[in-house]
Amino acid sequence: MSNAQIEIQLIASLVAIACAIPGTFLVLRKMAMISDAISHSILPGIVVGFFITQDLNSPLLILLAAFTGIITVVLVEYIQKTGLVKEDTAIGLVFPVLFSIGVILIAKNANDVHLDIDAVLLGELAFAPFDRLLISKTDIGPKSLWVISSILLIIIILLIVFFKELKISTFDAGLAASLGFSPVVLHYGLMTVASVTTVGAFDAVGAILVVALMIAPAAAAYLLTNDLKKMLILAIIFGVFSAISGYWLAHWLDASIAGSITTILGLLFLLVYLFAPNKGVIAVMYREKQQRIEVSLLTFLLHIKNHTEEVERHINHLQEDINWQKIHSKKVLDLAQKNNMIHIQNDIVTLSKKGENFTTKAINYIITNEDSQIENMKKDFFLFRG
Amino acid sequence: MKQIITILLITILLLSCKNEKKSTDKFNVVTTTTMITDLLKNIGGDLINVQGLMGSGVDPHLYKASEGDVTKLTNADMIFYNGIHLEGKLVDVFEKMGHKNNKTIAIAEAINKNTLINSKLFQGNYDPHIWFNVDYWKDATRFVVKKLSEKLPAQKEIFKANGKNYIAKLRTLKAKIISIVETLPKEKRILVTAHDAFSYFGRAFEFEVVGLQGLSTATEAGVKDVQKLASFIIKKNIKAIFIESSVPKRTIEALQAAVNSKGHHVKIGGTLYSDALGNAETIEGTYIGMFEYNVNTIVNALK
Repeated sequence: MSNAQIEIQLIASLVAIACAIPGTFLVLRKMAMISDAISHSILPGIVVGFFITQDLNSPLLILLAAFTGIITVVLVEYIQKTGLVKEDTAIGLVFPVLFSIGVILIAKNANDVHLDIDAVLLGELAFAPFDRLLISKTDIGPKSLWVISSILLIIIILLIVFFKELKISTFDAGLAASLGFSPVVLHYGLMTVASVTTVGAFDAVGAILVVALMIAPAAAAYLLTNDLKKMLILAIIFGVFSAISGYWLAHWLDASIAGSITTILGLLFLLVYLFAPNKGVIAVMYREKQQRIEVSLLTFLLHIKNHTEEVERHINHLQEDINWQKIHSKKVLDLAQKNNMIHIQNDIVTLSKKGENFTTKAINYIITNEDSQIENMKKDFFLFRG
Repeated sequence: MKQIITILLITILLLSCKNEKKSTDKFNVVTTTTMITDLLKNIGGDLINVQGLMGSGVDPHLYKASEGDVTKLTNADMIFYNGIHLEGKLVDVFEKMGHKNNKTIAIAEAINKNTLINSKLFQGNYDPHIWFNVDYWKDATRFVVKKLSEKLPAQKEIFKANGKNYIAKLRTLKAKIISIVETLPKEKRILVTAHDAFSYFGRAFEFEVVGLQGLSTATEAGVKDVQKLASFIIKKNIKAIFIESSVPKRTIEALQAAVNSKGHHVKIGGTLYSDALGNAETIEGTYIGMFEYNVNTIVNALK
């Protein structure tokens, strides 16, 4: 690996970490869309800042862009408070306006400004190592590496100092207010951090990758854990993983780096979305199917318990009276037998001792309106699940 | 969580373990456009290893870097680019690299700025399509010979001989172009193309040149531009308009439709190579072949 390659991976990984931290809180606060809005609406701030300083790396740019980011949030909330439109509509109204102001400013002065829309949206990670920071003629590394490291340092300090406040205000704004720290201040603080991160990452990776790095790792982590700290760590791991493997994907395909990182982020989220142990699509589908059969089993057992007459307990009766399809009733019977709930003699079903026990308890729970207890009871009684 | 980390780490390792191609011991020269690649190959011959960033049919205005470019650029001993904003953001990068070391060289430096076509709207913004003037390309040849000789003084004589040889070829090319163009009457010399790439060509061989899009293909042609140009084509009774290999042809097709809807017939005269040469294996893949092909296509269609 050459120096440039290492530097690119380093920059991409730092951007990924810097994005994952505010991203986690945005996802938890159900405000993921706002990062998309900020990443676009900071454009007029950057353009105006560039007109003033003529330097794409000036700190003034970051300040002005963060300022427009906050304007976005204020405007969105203002429109939302009127109650005339929903939040996502308000976001959709505000950021295109600000973004288009930026685009018009660029178009009007396009010939003096090397700030084309493509570069704004996609950035150019490949060139980041060639833009060096020189201090008294000594090369101290790529400029964007320094910019993003400083931002990341600030983010980490803020995270450590305000972790408790952020946690409480994210999950219970009312409690946070009653404990004496204003959710509004934290809200705008978080928005400022999100804006500053977006601007810092902007020149290197572009707006689309920033949004992807903020939302995708956090959303994937959200599906895997309910613990805030773990979610933060997982989001960071996913972000860094995507940054590095995205780079190598680009190396293999000889393709755009930012594009490849975004692809990996998408694939990663898809995998987690499908295969997450508890919240993933496949796990949920499996659980639903299991529960459907178990509910049938319970109904069946209760039916047997209620009827002493042989006609009602004949196997064929299951199809006729309870109206189950053949395959379904066979599954239920098999499950009941496997769990030793029933005996079958001459096609007549009788409850076993264990089955009696189970149904008596279940009826008790149903009468006392504690249906949820049945789920726990299943663990004690079932050797095999549906 | 530990399993997740392990899985992710293994994936990274699998992705990153690929044998790096060893760069050759030869002097590595990286070029941007296909025209410059061809020029360097002609002068450097076997002495240098020329790697072009842009392939045939790539629009330099809209070029997007890929990962492989990083390695090419880091291994480069010298980088030749067109300059005058032809390569968009790359020019900025090269200028910044140039401050640090003298590896990056803009071909446009070889040409006297006062003779370049200046933008009417924005003073100081020159037309970057300098290769369409054969005389400029001769200047560029001398410039490249000089720059290569500075870096590799031992091979100085070979570069000089190659350069001389190539300039002679360019001289023949120019004579040939003039003889072809002369078969076309002056009032028929109107060239309508997708973007303003042929201004230097027009000035050198007395063509009136009209581009649908501006100097950069990044700008879009408006409806008004199309209608205005359509009226112009009808008024001047132009027989053919031209597609460019590195620019999508739909704008020119829209223009053709606009002209035809007004009851005048204009045909598409063929594909011209404007910002990129043809495939490397074909004759159009060289600067000289490209120029001859373009001139033949233009003259045959307009006759």
